Amino acid sequence: MSHSRFKGRFLRVPAGPKLLTGLTLSMCAFGARTPYLLAGLTAANMLMGFVVCVRPVTLFRRGIKLFFFQSAMILMLYILRFGIEKGVWPGLQTSWQLFLAFFPGMIFMESTSQPQIVQALSRIMSPRTAFVLSVCMKFIPLMVREVRSIYETQVFRGANMLPRNLLRPWNWPDFINCLLVPAIVRTMSMAGEIALAAKARDFGVKKQRTCWPGE
Amino acid sequence: MPFHRQAEQFMEALNFVSGRRTLLCLENYSYAYPGGRDFVLKNVNMAIAPGQCHCLTGPTGSGKTTLLLAIKGLLPPGRQKGAVSFSSASLKTGIVLQNPEIQILGSTIGAEVAFALENHCVDPVLMPEKVAKALSDIGLKLPLEGDTEKLSIGQKYRLILAALLVMEPGLLLLDEPVAQLDPPGLEKLLTVIRQLKASGVSFLVCEHHPHPLKEVIDTFWRLQRDGSVRRLNASPPQIQWDRPYPGKSPSSNSSEKVIKVRDLAVVDENASSVWSDVSFSVAKGRRVVIYGPNGAGKTTLLRCLNGFVRPSKGSIHIWGESPSPVRLRGRVGSLFQNPHRQLFENTVFDEVAFTLKRLGGDRKSMVSKVEDALSRCGISELSGQSPHKLSYGQKHLVALSSLVVYKPQLLLLDDPFAGLDQEKSQQVMEILFDLSEKEGTTIVWTSHNPDSLSDWAHFALHVEGGQIVAQPV
Repeated sequence: MSHSRFKGRFLRVPAGPKLLTGLTLSMCAFGARTPYLLAGLTAANMLMGFVVCVRPVTLFRRGIKLFFFQSAMILMLYILRFGIEKGVWPGLQTSWQLFLAFFPGMIFMESTSQPQIVQALSRIMSPRTAFVLSVCMKFIPLMVREVRSIYETQVFRGANMLPRNLLRPWNWPDFINCLLVPAIVRTMSMAGEIALAAKARDFGVKKQRTCWPGE
Repeated sequence: MPFHRQAEQFMEALNFVSGRRTLLCLENYSYAYPGGRDFVLKNVNMAIAPGQCHCLTGPTGSGKTTLLLAIKGLLPPGRQKGAVSFSSASLKTGIVLQNPEIQILGSTIGAEVAFALENHCVDPVLMPEKVAKALSDIGLKLPLEGDTEKLSIGQKYRLILAALLVMEPGLLLLDEPVAQLDPPGLEKLLTVIRQLKASGVSFLVCEHHPHPLKEVIDTFWRLQRDGSVRRLNASPPQIQWDRPYPGKSPSSNSSEKVIKVRDLAVVDENASSVWSDVSFSVAKGRRVVIYGPNGAGKTTLLRCLNGFVRPSKGSIHIWGESPSPVRLRGRVGSLFQNPHRQLFENTVFDEVAFTLKRLGGDRKSMVSKVEDALSRCGISELSGQSPHKLSYGQKHLVALSSLVVYKPQLLLLDDPFAGLDQEKSQQVMEILFDLSEKEGTTIVWTSHNPDSLSDWAHFALHVEGGQIVAQPV
């Protein structure tokens, strides 16, 4: 087992400066509206990823997948609404901006351990709130796995929600009923289970918390 | 006289009578959930002495987890009668719930074990020593900065135990460990229970299948359907499979190949090999169990067979073609772990009829097919009820009915017996056996227990150490 995936490739950057840089890059994404600015911002994100992540290539691969999926959905809506000529570039620009708003968060999560996140957030909010936020972020991958599992089962049960089915709007109710509803129910149930697990180890017995000194 | 004083007096009397100290005592304890009409637990009387391991068995949904939560004090404020009392007010209890994945709250091993210390505002300087001791007590030799995501389920389970031991509890409550752990994980857990018992820690284990833990259990209890608890004189008997052996059954004689896998290899998202050089074939009507330890890639193999995971090398043919969800829909049935997650309709009837509606067909034949499926699964009386309000075992049967209804030619099931008691497991087994024998359905399912259902399968695929080997059973 590798000891830690949170030690940077070149630099060991503390969580605070990483959070600040990530937030700045995210905010810049909303202001960047020309291809040059967006390309420059993408380069800045990649540089940050290379510096702070142990496995930047894996992260970039995941990011590219997300970008293509998201772009396909947004472009489809823009083309339907504005036509090909007027819809392609604005759709692509919106998707690019949205991606650049989220990607610094992915870099931060990939390169920062949970105790580091709690320590960084504890400076600007209560330690309990900081812990709850960090736990929410930790469970996102598990939630994604759960949703994927529900999706695959429902597809075999006959739900019309394969990407090609979703091109036809009359199949969207299947997406809502068969995937979104069970996913929301499951998310709520998981939130209850996580809260119970935390209470079982005395989370909340005292108003303040201390913080594990290591990673 | 205040109620807590009465409870203390009862404990003293009990200790005096029994001649030994009692750690935990439940006296005529009853509980009903807020808004619930009936009591889930009724007049429960139990006592546990230090250094003992007690096991609570009982049907799915009978209230075993509720009893553990009552002892830990984690139940919502419903109606309560009787008392739960401990030998000392300072006695701490720890609980490991089902599904270790959800209970790991920290991303590193050190942070996970230190969680309770953080909650009690222990000075961070003192934490590393306490954490290292808890890990050593549990026999986990792992770096404190190690990533919790990379641990096996067995290691995660023991990590949660270490995270409880750091609070120095006198009583540990374990909810269905056997369903979560593979044989090596169970073996390690047995060692830990033995050691902790010797140091005076008591255990109360809720378990449908207590046989793997039999050697450390001192007393068995059974939670009845009416909510009362009865002490058993011996361990509950294991249900035996009394159907004909697969070799004798007619469905095993077909030579038509349903699945053909050649030189298959799969890599995960980090480009590491999950397993490689896998070749096997399955004929029509055969029943195949894929078994191996947790995390060995059993689910990945099922996802390859249903076309959701693309192999990095080799070929898969299902009825002579590469698998794809579009092509296989209607012919293949797929059931993943915790199938209650897939339920979304308002009634059991609609839930089961969903696939038929999507496949097309007239209303009259649909109604008769749904009724037949519900009757096969023994849940006809639930037809008009909401599937969301059923017990875990009933939800499991509803999910299974939604497959049985369209009689798929191939069934891919991921740990279909997880969380079910012996009676419900037997019922699911009977349904699948009939489907295989009468309809010629080919069934592939996964399990982390090599002993389970070996009488039932025609052959097994053993997944371990990056290899998959076909074995006769």
